[in-house]
Amino acid sequence: MGLPSRTERTTGGRAVRASRAARLETFQKYLFVVPALALFATFVLLPLASALYYSFTVWEGLGTPAWVGLRNYVRAWNDSIHVRSYLNVAVYIAGTLVVEVAFGLLVAVLLASDRRGFGFMRGLFFSPMVLSMVAAGLLWTYVYDYRRGLLNEGLRAAGLGEWAHPWLSDGGTAMLAVIIVSGWKYAGFYMIIFLAALRRIPVSLYEAAMLDGASPLQRLWHVTLPLLRETGVVAVLLCVTGGFAAFDLFFTMTNGGPFNATEIPTTWIVKQAFDRHNMGYGAALTIVMTAVVGVVSLVYLLATRRRHAVEY
Amino acid sequence: MSTSALPRARGFPLGTVLHYWVGVTVVVGMAFPLVWMLYSGFKTNQEIANTPIALPSVWNWHHFVEAWQLGNLGRLYLNSLLVTGVSVTALVMIASLAAYAFARLRFRGRDELFYLLLIGLLLPAQVVIIPLFFLLRDLQLLNTYWALILPYTSWPLALTIYLLRSYYLTLERELEDAARIDGASLFQTYAFVMFPLVRPALATVVILNLVNLWNELLFAMLFIQDERLRTLPAGLLAFSGYYLVDYRLVFAALSITTVPILVLYFVFQRHVIAGLTTGALD
Repeated sequence: MGLPSRTERTTGGRAVRASRAARLETFQKYLFVVPALALFATFVLLPLASALYYSFTVWEGLGTPAWVGLRNYVRAWNDSIHVRSYLNVAVYIAGTLVVEVAFGLLVAVLLASDRRGFGFMRGLFFSPMVLSMVAAGLLWTYVYDYRRGLLNEGLRAAGLGEWAHPWLSDGGTAMLAVIIVSGWKYAGFYMIIFLAALRRIPVSLYEAAMLDGASPLQRLWHVTLPLLRETGVVAVLLCVTGGFAAFDLFFTMTNGGPFNATEIPTTWIVKQAFDRHNMGYGAALTIVMTAVVGVVSLVYLLATRRRHAVEY
Repeated sequence: MSTSALPRARGFPLGTVLHYWVGVTVVVGMAFPLVWMLYSGFKTNQEIANTPIALPSVWNWHHFVEAWQLGNLGRLYLNSLLVTGVSVTALVMIASLAAYAFARLRFRGRDELFYLLLIGLLLPAQVVIIPLFFLLRDLQLLNTYWALILPYTSWPLALTIYLLRSYYLTLERELEDAARIDGASLFQTYAFVMFPLVRPALATVVILNLVNLWNELLFAMLFIQDERLRTLPAGLLAFSGYYLVDYRLVFAALSITTVPILVLYFVFQRHVIAGLTTGALD
């Protein structure tokens, strides 16, 4: 790897000049990475280290943080809303696995066609991906509006008026409502990555299956799905880690409400830090979250690595 | 796109009809909220309250002018353009330099530094909001464009370098060697030979970061409280807070902030899809 440094091989009187040139070049090589590393160290690593430090302190943002050892972590463990936020985010992630990954896969299979118009449909299905979560969240807040919302009005028009419901302000349905929006926004992403995997499957496999008399459903189950496994593993990982990092949609639509029914770790952290000025406690919660995401990803990667990928 | 590997329903008209029917149903169901948003901005609040789904009886274009002026949306657009433009340009320049070095140059500590950088791939940005807030406060950068430009340039570095590095690794070595033999310096070789070759990958990471940073909310709302400096997502959220029950205005503002993005998306669809799914596909 790397450029062969010809200068080192020169001999005789030119050696001194050559070694000076070599040193200059070594210096130049570091110049390539210095800007990136400086920014990364200042705005990513340094804050990460500070977060760890703050997590052992009580601090309201002014003056000096007071060291309290592990007290914030004990508090986090006993904070019932904090614990609940993890249950909530687990429900959210489970839901998004269905409405983003599974539904995305379904739509990929459905829209993977060269028939006229299907390219356009795929493009349309992907389009919410480019919108901001704020725009998506606001739009759907109005879709779910009790009196003026598209959903309830649609139900009334279909004669299902008694199903009309204050979707976001009822703790029983708020999480589901947010999950649906998440699916609306992201299913297109998973559709595309499954579509790419579908297109890599050789046609010969389907021809062989058809010769053996496999029905379309059998072909889907025995040929397509096993060959999508690797993509599925990546998709699930992205969905799970993305789920922990969710914030914008919840902040825009419910901000954790009603009565913490949609409180997730990120909304709770922002409330602790920026509404209640519990910086030390908030920092501890961020460290907990980092650890949880890290452990979950690691366990998942180890668990899925065992089984061998299908060769084709 | 290229020919599908999926089995086709063999000349079965019923299958074809069914296929279209299901596909169109899913896509229309998904797109309808956006269409509803679009025409609701033209309706009066009374119409929205009485007949939420109906088309407007009169197309009130002035709602859009009102929303534009009340929300100072032009200013929000300019702020977003400035912050995202500067961040993405700086980010991609810096990332490409580093990616090239990590891929092609040999120096002590190269791999260790690269692995250190990869930590950034795993971290959700929420992890640092508290210390980052105080860092920016101590640097007296809160409520300036820098409060967003600096984190926006730094946070996506890990992923961007990672993606560009894999692209640099695929390039042929001959051109680079030829330039060196002709006496080009390291930097000249990079700038005039390698950087132009990496353009396709560059387009991809530019789009990825452009979309992500344009839509970023958390940093934007925490680090900038000055209304005149807000970016679109934070400004739109504030606007919807002020005019919560003035439905027509919120619908109009939503349309103003989303339609141009959607139009751009449909024009550059292929590139945008490639950009947003890069990384998940390799």
